[in-house]
Amino acid sequence: MAEKLLHIEDLHVEVEGKEILKGLNLSLDKGEIHAIMGPNGSGKSTLAYVLTGRPGYEVTAGKVLYNGEDILDLEPNERAQRGIFLAFQYPTEVPGVSVVNFLRTAYNSIHPDEPKSAMAFRMYLQEKVDLLEIPTELVDRYVNQGFSGGEKKRNEILQMAVLRPELAILDETDSGLDIDALKHVSSGVNKLASPEVGILMITHYQRLLNYIRPSTVHVLMGGRVVRSGGFELAEKLEAEGYAGIAKEIGLSEEEVAEVEGQRV
Amino acid sequence: MADATGEPGWLADRRAHAFDLFEKLEDPDPKGEEWRYVDVRGFDFSRFQPPRVSPEAPKLDPALQAKGVIYVDFATAAREHPDLLREHFFTEVPVDEHRFTALHGAFHSDGLLIYVPRQVEVELPLEALRRVSSGGSVFPHTTIVVEEQASLTFVDRFASDESPQPALCASVVEVTAGRGATVNYISLQEWGRSVHHFQTQRFTGHRDATVRSLAVNLGSAFARTQVESVLSGEGSFSEMLGLYFADTNQHFAQRTLQSHNAPHATSDLLYKGALKERSRSEYSGLIKVLKGAQGTDAYQANRNLVLSEEALARSIPQLEIEANEVRCTHGATVSPVEDEHLFYLMSRGIDRVTAQKLVVFGFFRDVLDRIRVERVRDELSAAISAKVEGAQRLEVAV
Ligand SMILES: Nc1ncnc2c1ncn2[C@@H]1O[C@H](COP(=O)(O)OP(=O)(O)OP(=O)(O)O)[C@@H](O)[C@H]1O
Ligand SMILES: [Mg+2]
Repeated sequence: MAEKLLHIEDLHVEVEGKEILKGLNLSLDKGEIHAIMGPNGSGKSTLAYVLTGRPGYEVTAGKVLYNGEDILDLEPNERAQRGIFLAFQYPTEVPGVSVVNFLRTAYNSIHPDEPKSAMAFRMYLQEKVDLLEIPTELVDRYVNQGFSGGEKKRNEILQMAVLRPELAILDETDSGLDIDALKHVSSGVNKLASPEVGILMITHYQRLLNYIRPSTVHVLMGGRVVRSGGFELAEKLEAEGYAGIAKEIGLSEEEVAEVEGQRV
Repeated sequence: MADATGEPGWLADRRAHAFDLFEKLEDPDPKGEEWRYVDVRGFDFSRFQPPRVSPEAPKLDPALQAKGVIYVDFATAAREHPDLLREHFFTEVPVDEHRFTALHGAFHSDGLLIYVPRQVEVELPLEALRRVSSGGSVFPHTTIVVEEQASLTFVDRFASDESPQPALCASVVEVTAGRGATVNYISLQEWGRSVHHFQTQRFTGHRDATVRSLAVNLGSAFARTQVESVLSGEGSFSEMLGLYFADTNQHFAQRTLQSHNAPHATSDLLYKGALKERSRSEYSGLIKVLKGAQGTDAYQANRNLVLSEEALARSIPQLEIEANEVRCTHGATVSPVEDEHLFYLMSRGIDRVTAQKLVVFGFFRDVLDRIRVERVRDELSAAISAKVEGAQRLEVAV
């Protein structure tokens, strides 16, 4: 049997000495789209960061295999070169570095076998810009500097479209988007989706899932995946919130209180 | 010295006077404002060989010559343009300013006089290359006079090969911009790592003049650069840019002065520096607004990007304001390279060194964008790249 694109087993992660992920399991195959939902602070972004190698996220137990390879000791750029991409929940501003220059450097790092000249890259980038209906002037501005919240999210999807990852992790890319932007972003993601690509979408809203249909929905709570199911699971959460599941899985009173009242 | 170069009596007398001063003057006080943190007490001048006269005469396009432009060394200037030299040599920077200007006054070795007559525009930059040999010393002097409505760009380059023996450069630059004139002056300090560099630059802008300076420090073991812009004419404008990148155990000390002596003048200063490894930098900048300089607009910013935990950058802005209708802003920052920036770039496949390069370029972007000589801009970009990559990992012999 072919290796899973992503296989996470019993993953424990600490941040500044505090355990955030407490035995998380998750597997994703090429061609699949999975959604991860969970209350604020449950560790969704932590999972995204640990998969991409952000410093400060310490794996204390468990393993992460990407196409069968243990990636936990790889530098962030080495993971990206293998095809992992994260659309950040809070994209970073990099002063003085233009989007176009940044992306060309990134592209040539990830696709060294097909490097593009400045001119060729410019045309390639323009195609993606048109596809996502992003204002052209954005790519000549400094990375995320002075971008509106929605522009930052769209810039993440632009980067995804340009870099053509094999595993795309979208961390709340839908938050803060107006309805038109959400449609553009969704169509960008749907264009990337193929039998060769896996997508992991972190979201709070069923709204996104109406545009990008997940094959699986996971609920992340207390540092673990506590429920997995089909689209109906997202609908149930939208209707009932997290408290029901929290009780069902036997979280402590305190933990239940913490998620109680949190909207999906 | 006077005999050897065949200098006229007045110039030889000035040398002798400067030498007397050098012997009498105290070493600069590292606790005073001007030399804060720079301790040169006990600096041993005797270990450097005396300067040699530069063999190369400056070259000037005959078309410019025909328009009355002068670009000559001091020996030629003393012979052919004695009045001009007498009028402008050591008039902006006083020889007794400190021991290093006095030393320079006694030994100046590579003097250049550049003169642009009224309304003449010198379009292409003129350039000079100053050199020093291992264990040697050099005392370059640059005197620039640009008359009314005329314009000039001058690139003064200080470069030497890596050499085992310490060498010394003490240099003075004097620039006068006449009414409505435009002068761009660029100094590129790219010495080998065993050179000690001391330089004073002073710019005087007359009515409605535009004076732009760029002071670059990349090479040397130790460099102290003092850049002073005197806005002596109403409505004059001064742009002062600084770019420095120190690594290993290099030490750069920079002192700037924006002296507003006339009303409605504008000065805009931006000094940016990056520091690696165990390097050090000091920046101390004074905005001085004299009584009567109403409507002054003065801006000063010093930004430092620190790439290692052992590097140290200090920044000391100062204001002295005697006029009451002025606009002054100043700011200083010393910040590390953000891990968050590096992670974001690396998460897109970019390796650590390239990511650092992007961040450093991003940091220098606004200074680079303001450099008007394209070749200088490209050269500096290449030098910055090489510094980030650590192309010059030589320890500095002090
Ligand atoms: N650098 C850090 N220092 C301390 N605590 C941290 C750090 N990073 C994350 N945490 C904590 O880890 C927990 C999980 O954070 P994470 O960002 O993964 O949550 P999330 O599920 O993405 O939440 P949200 O829905 O709000 O984005 C939170 O309690 C958070 O405060
Ligand atoms: Mg999050």
